Amino acid sequence: MNPVLPLDTLTRVVRRLPGGGLSAARQAALASFAERGFPSLSDEDWKYTDLTPAIDVSREWLAAGGPAETPDPAGILAVRATLDAHWLVIANGELQEAQSNALTLPGIRARRGHVGETRFEAPLSDLNAALSHDVLELTIGREYRDEKPIVLLVADAATGAPIASQVRIAVRLEDSAVASFVEYHVSSGNERHYSNTFIETDVAPDACCRWVRVQERAPVHTQTARLDVRLDHGARLEHFGIDLGGALTRNDLRVDVVGRHAQVTLDGVYLAGPGQHVDNHTRTEHRVGPARSRQEYRGVLSGRCRAVWNGKAIIHPGADGTDLEQANHNLLLSGDAEIDAKPELEIYADDVKAAHGATVGQLDERALFYLQSRGIGPARAKRILTRAFAATVLDKLPLPCLRELVGDKVEARLRGMAGGATA
Amino acid sequence: MSLLDIQNLHVRIGDADILRGLTLAVAAGEVHAIMGPNGSGKSTLANVIAGHEDYEIVSGSLRYDGKDLAPLAPEERAREGIFLGFQYPVEIPGVNNAYLLKAAVNARRKHQGLPEIDAFEFLKLARARMAELGIDPKFLNRGVNEGFSGGEKKRNEILQLAMLEPRLAILDETDSGLDIDALRAVAAGVNGLRSPDRAIVLVTHYQRLLDYVEPDYVHVLSEGRIVRSGDKSLALELEEKGYEWAREAATA
Repeated sequence: MNPVLPLDTLTRVVRRLPGGGLSAARQAALASFAERGFPSLSDEDWKYTDLTPAIDVSREWLAAGGPAETPDPAGILAVRATLDAHWLVIANGELQEAQSNALTLPGIRARRGHVGETRFEAPLSDLNAALSHDVLELTIGREYRDEKPIVLLVADAATGAPIASQVRIAVRLEDSAVASFVEYHVSSGNERHYSNTFIETDVAPDACCRWVRVQERAPVHTQTARLDVRLDHGARLEHFGIDLGGALTRNDLRVDVVGRHAQVTLDGVYLAGPGQHVDNHTRTEHRVGPARSRQEYRGVLSGRCRAVWNGKAIIHPGADGTDLEQANHNLLLSGDAEIDAKPELEIYADDVKAAHGATVGQLDERALFYLQSRGIGPARAKRILTRAFAATVLDKLPLPCLRELVGDKVEARLRGMAGGATA
Repeated sequence: MSLLDIQNLHVRIGDADILRGLTLAVAAGEVHAIMGPNGSGKSTLANVIAGHEDYEIVSGSLRYDGKDLAPLAPEERAREGIFLGFQYPVEIPGVNNAYLLKAAVNARRKHQGLPEIDAFEFLKLARARMAELGIDPKFLNRGVNEGFSGGEKKRNEILQLAMLEPRLAILDETDSGLDIDALRAVAAGVNGLRSPDRAIVLVTHYQRLLDYVEPDYVHVLSEGRIVRSGDKSLALELEEKGYEWAREAATA
């Protein structure tokens, strides 16, 4: 039996939540979660990722009475200063309206709704639905024409005691709308934290959605984040995920192609150092064709750590004309790093183009010698080559305004992973 | 005094003895050609001077500017003014050509106690050198050797050579795989770098390059030893009579 949380305490905490407390939807979610519990290693989709830290934090948080801590505004303001953007700030699971100028932008309709039915079919969604304060619903109209990205800042602070937080967002891009989002996960404080995010995004015909997820969590943080995107006729998704921090991170990205001529790009970079576990699961369902689908994830692992990449693509009967490529490349900088890379392609249509591949390798000794023979010391040469490995996918970052910020963060993280050597 | 002084050098890679008692002295201002058939040890000689760690010095001495090279790492040798032009320049996607050039130039300058070159000065210098070598300035912003043709890679090596201004340049099969235009461009680049302060060692299988870069000395390498030395006429004789002749003459 999968691990559960004590239902009586859970119910008590849910009763105190805003928006009607124990509504019918929350009650249903609670019942479903009580029945199914957390995913465990015996679930095929979770066999490499052990959620014990998330379960422990949730238990302790519940035992202490649930939501308590007020978020740290200074840390949030510091993050906001690094990027010229519109902001939606969610701190410890609560929307901070005063700090969220994106709520009132022309062309955007925002509303805080009650937790209701969603398309997510997962135990973690039940937990999330039961415990979320509310659902932030954003509708982007075609008249929205802002170049600046909208940053969904998911900031969590835990200083005194372990904290668990839930975020639930529903986004809709209307016909021909164009918008850029940054789903930005940060944390502060040195206490353990578990955050569980569920976002669903509908992209209407001919709309274009650029979505960059940046995960820069504290080293004691556990995160599960899921993003489901539905693409209608001629719609486009350009997604990029960047994992830099956190102790245990699991990202689920699901794309449902329901309209013809949709275009999907799913790229990402994950960097894992000692003690980190990063798991990226993607699932693309092509229900109709033609459509174009491209995916490339690159991982750099150093020290005793583990990364998982599972890229599933299903081309359903009738999705003829689907053109799909997916790739995953990993660079292992040490012998005790572990990667589980699994491309999964299921094709049930006849007229398709599909290619996939995964590689695991080390730094190229010939390239190292070449750089050394040009006067560059071995530590720096390794850093240059590692950065170059990541750069080939980082160059595809869909938001040019993020390039410098992301480049600097990646550089700093690689420096940290190499133990700060500067020779 | 010789800039490069090699005495009775024995070098091994894995279990294979490659150099077996090689002796060679090269003074500043001179151009030497090392010729020999495949497997004679030419590339080993080039790599061992540059400091490749796969090559183990078993005995003998390898001195540069009066100093023992053996304890120096490849990057230290480069900073001291040794340059190896690679037979197969490595493609490094994601590393900008200009970035590598500037890092290399500054590593050497820092070692010499000179201030680092700034971006503006660097670009000016790089563009001038590229114009001299007939290299498209767009190459600066491409990945190092990424997608370059054989000729472009070799020109890029010569560009690095020109930017780094080493005291000892070893060019390993720089002429291999070049069409006649590329060969002329590379040779013109090398000739432009001849100087009384600089020694150049051309490692080559064919005499062809020597029509364009005239060596002061020619050495024939066979089975890990220099078996004949002479002036440029030796290269012509070799072309005519073949390596078998040089080997037999040495063992006779």
